[in-house]
Amino acid sequence: MAEEKALTDAHLVELAKTDPESFGLLMERYQGQLSGYIRRLTRLSPDDVQDLLQEVFIKIYQNLNAYDRDLKFSSWAYRIAHNQVVDYFRRSGARPQTDVLEDYEWEKIVGGGIQLEKYIVNKDCAEKVKACIEDLPLNYREILILRFVEEKEYEEIMDILKKPKGSVATLIARGKEILRSKMEERNINCF
Amino acid sequence: MKNLIQDTLSRIKTEHIAPEPKWKFLLRKAGAWVLVGAVVLLGAAAIAAAYYLISQLDWDLYRFTRRSPFAYVLPMIPYFWLILLGAFILAAFFGVRRTESGYRFSGLWVVVLVVVGIALAGFLMARAGFGSRLDAMMRGVPFYERSIETQEKQWMQPEEGFLAGTVRSASENAIGLDDLDGEQWNVKVDEKTLVRPAADVSTGQMIKIIGTKQSARDFSAAEIRPWMGHGMAGAGSGQDNGCGAGKSGSCGNRGNMMRGR
Repeated sequence: MAEEKALTDAHLVELAKTDPESFGLLMERYQGQLSGYIRRLTRLSPDDVQDLLQEVFIKIYQNLNAYDRDLKFSSWAYRIAHNQVVDYFRRSGARPQTDVLEDYEWEKIVGGGIQLEKYIVNKDCAEKVKACIEDLPLNYREILILRFVEEKEYEEIMDILKKPKGSVATLIARGKEILRSKMEERNINCF
Repeated sequence: MKNLIQDTLSRIKTEHIAPEPKWKFLLRKAGAWVLVGAVVLLGAAAIAAAYYLISQLDWDLYRFTRRSPFAYVLPMIPYFWLILLGAFILAAFFGVRRTESGYRFSGLWVVVLVVVGIALAGFLMARAGFGSRLDAMMRGVPFYERSIETQEKQWMQPEEGFLAGTVRSASENAIGLDDLDGEQWNVKVDEKTLVRPAADVSTGQMIKIIGTKQSARDFSAAEIRPWMGHGMAGAGSGQDNGCGAGKSGSCGNRGNMMRGR
């Protein structure tokens, strides 16, 4: 088991094709990241997030033979999670819930996204900024989360969303712009 | 968290979930590229047909009308095929983008790849004569007939001074012509009539005539061309008769029309 834990993702994928227990190790490696990603995107309750994550893992397992070793396994897993989330919203017609970004998470978006001071002067202002981020359309919120919360490189975001680099850069720029204008609309100027 | 892993593993076992076979994914990947290839071929067919339509027209006829070159050429462009070509280029672009690794290529690179691919395949199809066959196949479609300019339409405008048909009879000063609609014409020919070198004005041959409509079925010929092309081919034969673009006035005369009779 200790030996298996030292294996790379790609090796574990090969093992998991014939041995589901090896897949357990992959799940162990990525459940934290994927769970957080799903939670931030969907704003579902922890139980629902777990259910959705299980579907993601099952999907990953079923698609192990489609894994391209040129990609980082994490990017590929995030891609499946992204597709599953989009599919979930389509099937259920549900709209994202609100208020699931932790303070440190949205501070990352604000800090990295629009080059503002990271330190928020008062709690009231902090809530307003948080509401602006929560109000962003899903695609912009997702890309800002990937870039500034998950701290993914552009190439990784390309692989996750299957979008060309130009589109990724445009989405990030537009996301920042929308966030900035939302903050201006609400007279949020407390940094 | 531990439960999720155990739950998932036991679900995999109890529901006998297994990784899907590799060939399925390979087939799907190949299918996406085959689709792109099919769209590229359709685009190429559109190019071949457009090229055929363009190549069979005489683009210099504006000189014999009162219209400007631009106004004359505009309705002759094969919009039907060009619109289809544009649609196929777009479809191929998005087809490439939707392949497994398509998002990794830059937009410009995909456009160049698609356009060059379609152009190359179109060139080969045009060379193989596919354009004319496709055009012939489409001729039964009413909308298609209306939307394209054909050689027949271009040369069946006696009011404009263009007439075409099959030579029924030919003499020193007149040609009996059955036009493309089967109507009979008397075409007057004189020493000023330019007969292009490759034009064979003998019974049963198809010709195109530029001139003036005199009355209901009388036409005066200023220039006679063979049905296919401008009729410059054959001008050589070791003799310089002064033929050349823009020199139509010095290119042969009605002496040529007696050939083959």
